[in-house]
Amino acid sequence: MRTTVVTDEERKKALASTKKPEVVERQKLNVRYHVEDCDVNDRPRRFLEVFAAILKHSNYKMVLDHFIRMTGRCSRCAVACHIYQATDDPKDIPCYRSGLLLDVYRRHFTMGGLLKGRISGGGYLTDEKIQEVAESFWNCTACRRCALECPLGLDHGLITHLGRYILSEIGIVPRALAVSVRAQLEGPFHNTSAVPVPALKDTLEFLEDDMFEEKSVEIKFPTDVEGSDYVFFAPVSDYLMEADSLMGIAAVFAATGDSWTIGTGYFDAINYGLFYNDRILERVIKNVDQETRRLKGKHVLIGECGHASRVAKNFMPTYCGGEDSVPVINILEYTYKVWKEGRLNLNPDVITEKIAYHDPCNFARNRWIVNQPREVLRSFCKNYVEMTPAGEDNICCGGGGGAVSMDELRPYRTTIGGKLKAEQIRKSGCEILVAPCANCKKQLRELVEDQGLDCRVVGFHDLVYKAIKFDDSLLVRKEEEVTAGQNNGLSDPRDSSEGKEK
Amino acid sequence: MGFLLQFARGPLFRLCFIIMLLGLARILFLDFWGAQKVYRRAGDKKMPWRLIASRTFEWVFPVKRVFRNRQVYSFFSILFHIGLIIVPVFLFAHISLWKSSVGISWPALPYWWAFWLTAATIVFATLMLVERLVVKSIHSLSRGQDYLWLLLLLLPFVTGFVCANLNISAGVYQFLMLVHVLSGDLIFFMTPFTKIAHCVLAPFSQVIDALAWKFPPKTDEDICATLSKKGAPV
Repeated sequence: MRTTVVTDEERKKALASTKKPEVVERQKLNVRYHVEDCDVNDRPRRFLEVFAAILKHSNYKMVLDHFIRMTGRCSRCAVACHIYQATDDPKDIPCYRSGLLLDVYRRHFTMGGLLKGRISGGGYLTDEKIQEVAESFWNCTACRRCALECPLGLDHGLITHLGRYILSEIGIVPRALAVSVRAQLEGPFHNTSAVPVPALKDTLEFLEDDMFEEKSVEIKFPTDVEGSDYVFFAPVSDYLMEADSLMGIAAVFAATGDSWTIGTGYFDAINYGLFYNDRILERVIKNVDQETRRLKGKHVLIGECGHASRVAKNFMPTYCGGEDSVPVINILEYTYKVWKEGRLNLNPDVITEKIAYHDPCNFARNRWIVNQPREVLRSFCKNYVEMTPAGEDNICCGGGGGAVSMDELRPYRTTIGGKLKAEQIRKSGCEILVAPCANCKKQLRELVEDQGLDCRVVGFHDLVYKAIKFDDSLLVRKEEEVTAGQNNGLSDPRDSSEGKEK
Repeated sequence: MGFLLQFARGPLFRLCFIIMLLGLARILFLDFWGAQKVYRRAGDKKMPWRLIASRTFEWVFPVKRVFRNRQVYSFFSILFHIGLIIVPVFLFAHISLWKSSVGISWPALPYWWAFWLTAATIVFATLMLVERLVVKSIHSLSRGQDYLWLLLLLLPFVTGFVCANLNISAGVYQFLMLVHVLSGDLIFFMTPFTKIAHCVLAPFSQVIDALAWKFPPKTDEDICATLSKKGAPV
């Protein structure tokens, strides 16, 4: 039944813990990811208290009741899970994982469970069980592919989300995520990478100069412009690592002339709350809302980031005013819209390599953004190939659910988490893999490196930037300068036939 | 034996059947009650109805998605479920009982259809049982009830098949018929309290899943107050 073969050596390396024994002893927790020191006393009682509080103030009780009344344990989800396919460990079957939490709920929060517990005198939540939950729930990449396979409709991703939420409230949360969120919510710069505003402005200015050099068009990154149509939030790491994606986005706006802006009060789209805590999710999304309202923006525009887009799209209405909340749009939707309207011209002669598109789970699983980027890519990439399965059935990159932020998990991510994806990429034979998500990009680059794949991973707008054709009226350089530029090895900016590699 | 059989297919059957109906109605009501409560509390009330309808349709009428993975198991499982529903409802002998006791009837399955469908259900249930025993992923997940349910569901089919088609003595017939009726009664009785409740709950799973991601708007404030974490650092 397995489709991925991970060698014993790979498995051993991937599952090895890098933690020192004294840390494990001190934290009374043997998990592969790093955790900050926290209260280790009376964990089962605290776990149940948190669980009870969450059930009281959230909507999870309804779904837990529904699930415990009918779990069938048919193991169809095992086929869909890239983790189980790689480990062959029954503990990695999504239904088993969900069962860990459902058992706790059944035993401690239902009449039948309480009664049965009283009679048998057992079944109590123990430290060992919490240990198992803490390990298991962070093995999952929360891609929710298993939910598509469940004939009974159990959303194991939701159970993983809830399990991590409870764990985080008793202090068990990956350090990488906790540190980032702390920087975002309590740090002086209000973003996960602690990028100061002057550094942001410097970066944008540098990119503007670069774009002028390459395209001979005044392409701007407007900041703090009130009343713009779109207030732009990129995952802040893009400002450090994904210059081409950002330049592509700016170029699209330059071509269409629509108004957009980046707010310097708050500019980070990343919301790790989706990965482990609803309270964090709420706080972060409210910052996005506040900044958009401060700038009197008409739309929230999220950059190339799967989880941030899903959070904004699904939870802005929840936490920021219901139907009156600011509408959310992802940059792929925007680019598709203007391309469809004929306001974006892309040169079909620029990209000649074999291209494949990777669906970020948070875009595709619910059929939100699937065909739009493909239509655009097919229009200007002559050699476009499709990976199978794709769209809502796509295979996770292996870094989802926050895993990619944990560097200590790299061996795990690029073998157990990503081997199935690596095989899919290899089979497609693509030279360039388009991944419009910051997390997927980072994970896939590491995967390509560790699995020895012969392809490059880029963002969607990286290619758009290379192929974009500007209206003549936007070109500011004189013809002689262009010719001189060509003589110096620079291309004619109007056809962008040889976009410079960054 | 005769009295027991009469009791099993008379008052006991009626009691078990009513328990099943009321039990299923209860869990459906609890599901709907929970769902409406969630919907009222949700900060975002926009539901993805098209997606919900499409995914529900995919599983209620399993012809496409179900065959993308584990085709053999899916084939067994679908035919098993079809037999499980069609045979007891449309068997001539069962309809006759309904007619004699409550006066209602409906068209019955032709004999050979009933014969082959029953045989197929027995074969597929057995294969599912074998798969549960030998395939590592399913075996490791299986609880006692997962095996017991398959055996319990097989029981009325096997006994009914033998009684209807084989030449057996009157005593054996009566005994097997008693087992047949009692196992049927037990199935009805247990249905609302076990995983078999999926027969009424599963079609609503996609709505429940979609609703579950609709959170109430003041999570942070409320949870912090309950857990005394107000103002606590991240």
